[in-house]
Amino acid sequence: MKNILYGIMYSFKEIKNSKIFYSFLIFALILISGSYFVSQTSFISQGRIMVDFSIFAISIFNIFIGIFIGASVVYDDIEKKSIFLSITRPVKRTEYLTGRFLGLAAAIIFSTVIMMFIFYFVLLIMHKFIVPVVPNAGAAVSGAKSVHNVHSNNVNLQNNSASYAASGHPFTFYTLPQPLIIQGLFIIIESVFISAAALLFSLVTSKALASIFAILIFFIGNVSSRMNDLVKPVKKIIDGKVVIVHQANHILASIVRFIYTVLPNFSIFNISSEAAYKVNVSSGMILYRAAYGICYTTLLFIIASIIFSKKDIS
Amino acid sequence: MIEIKNVTKYFRVGFFGTRKNAVEDLSLDIDGGKVTGFFGPNGAGKSTTIKMIVGLIKASKGSIKINGYDSFDYRARLKLGYLPENPSFPRGLKGIEIINYYAKLLNKKINKNEIYDALKLAGIFYAKNTQAHKYSKGMTQRLALAVSIIGDPEILIFDEPLSGLDPIGRKEFKDIIFKLKERKKTIFFSSHVLADSKELCDRIAVLVNGRLIKNENLENIEKEAAAYAEEKKEERLSGEYNTPLEVYLYDLMLKNRKN
Repeated sequence: MKNILYGIMYSFKEIKNSKIFYSFLIFALILISGSYFVSQTSFISQGRIMVDFSIFAISIFNIFIGIFIGASVVYDDIEKKSIFLSITRPVKRTEYLTGRFLGLAAAIIFSTVIMMFIFYFVLLIMHKFIVPVVPNAGAAVSGAKSVHNVHSNNVNLQNNSASYAASGHPFTFYTLPQPLIIQGLFIIIESVFISAAALLFSLVTSKALASIFAILIFFIGNVSSRMNDLVKPVKKIIDGKVVIVHQANHILASIVRFIYTVLPNFSIFNISSEAAYKVNVSSGMILYRAAYGICYTTLLFIIASIIFSKKDIS
Repeated sequence: MIEIKNVTKYFRVGFFGTRKNAVEDLSLDIDGGKVTGFFGPNGAGKSTTIKMIVGLIKASKGSIKINGYDSFDYRARLKLGYLPENPSFPRGLKGIEIINYYAKLLNKKINKNEIYDALKLAGIFYAKNTQAHKYSKGMTQRLALAVSIIGDPEILIFDEPLSGLDPIGRKEFKDIIFKLKERKKTIFFSSHVLADSKELCDRIAVLVNGRLIKNENLENIEKEAAAYAEEKKEERLSGEYNTPLEVYLYDLMLKNRKN
């Protein structure tokens, strides 16, 4: 356990100092900060555009970190032979791999938190989308204006803060609405998930191919549920009977169903529309989706561990 | 201490995965408290053997035991230090951070002084706060040596420790090996530089084309070399090799080489 912990710290430090991590982080921060200018292209829904744009930037750059660093975190160690000194210590290979992987997960959490903070400050400066935190009424105020405010862009900050200040509190704290915080959590799970896939591929193929495979898995995983919906038979009720009016080719439908069943479904981690419209996400749904991501990641990691424990490192 | 029994290692090469033996039926015992030199030409299988000993690759056949544990078992490495050929470290970390990490991976408490002593012995203490990717080759080699000797391991395995070092570096490295020899460490090192044999070794093993062709203590092998030199008097000492032992080892490798 101690060895894993040291491995996590070492990996985290190494990834944190790597150029690729910095580049993605800085680029994402530029995009988040620039989301204001993008939102100015519209006269309406500026807040929504800011949220959509920033969430996209946070998500895509963390996915990139997951894919590219996931594909290189162990592969580069083997290529550059720096792994030789690590696994010839009294360390189990599984401990080494766990340390490397969790170090990467820690780096992804770190980058997401930084990006979310910058995003929060941008929203705070623009006074858009943030909600005041009122003690004992937190849920009521911060949460959910949800259905009520589905089509509004701004929370009435003045009124809330004025009433809060009037109650004797000099400062008002603002927070992000619940769906945005949950979207941040889902981005972490999704990025760690794809990094586990990239790590697994990097153990059986080259770094470039591992990155390409991981990108393909991510892409297919994002569209598979929509494709599955498309190949479902279209039914209509005619004269009180259910009639299939359109049926996709059987072979094509089977292939799509197979892909949909076997490959991970990444689209469930995308709740940007809920975030943009401030619709609260139920705790059951959060738990189900988080458990799905964590279980799949664990499965991929176990397969990677089995391969790594038998691998000749030369 | 280290028992290698009938070890064969093959790799699959080419499109059809043809078997190619890197090491064939190798049996070798490495005695405790002695320096064993492992000589052979390039591609003889020295590094493959060393990687099997330290648990980086698994033998296709046979067994390797270190202090009674299989070489793939992490407990076999509890008292083992390894210096790889051309070591490297991740970018962005300082020398002291790197050695601290490796020290923590040992299953015992290592204090700051021990880390500093290892750095001083390896001659890299002065650069401990420099990022390792800014080190020269010799400095990287020294840091890797410091990493391998941290925790005072009983067994030290060095893969081509002197390759790529300048004459001063080679001399200093040899001095370090002498110091470790005085401390009665078990040292097993590979080299293709025959001049290292007499200076450093108590025992010499020669590997050619994956087969062990000689495994003797220094005295015996020197006697054989002297007899061989006597026999081949008229052809002798060429510019490259100027001691009977070097000539004997050179001819031994040449005779047994396939091509």
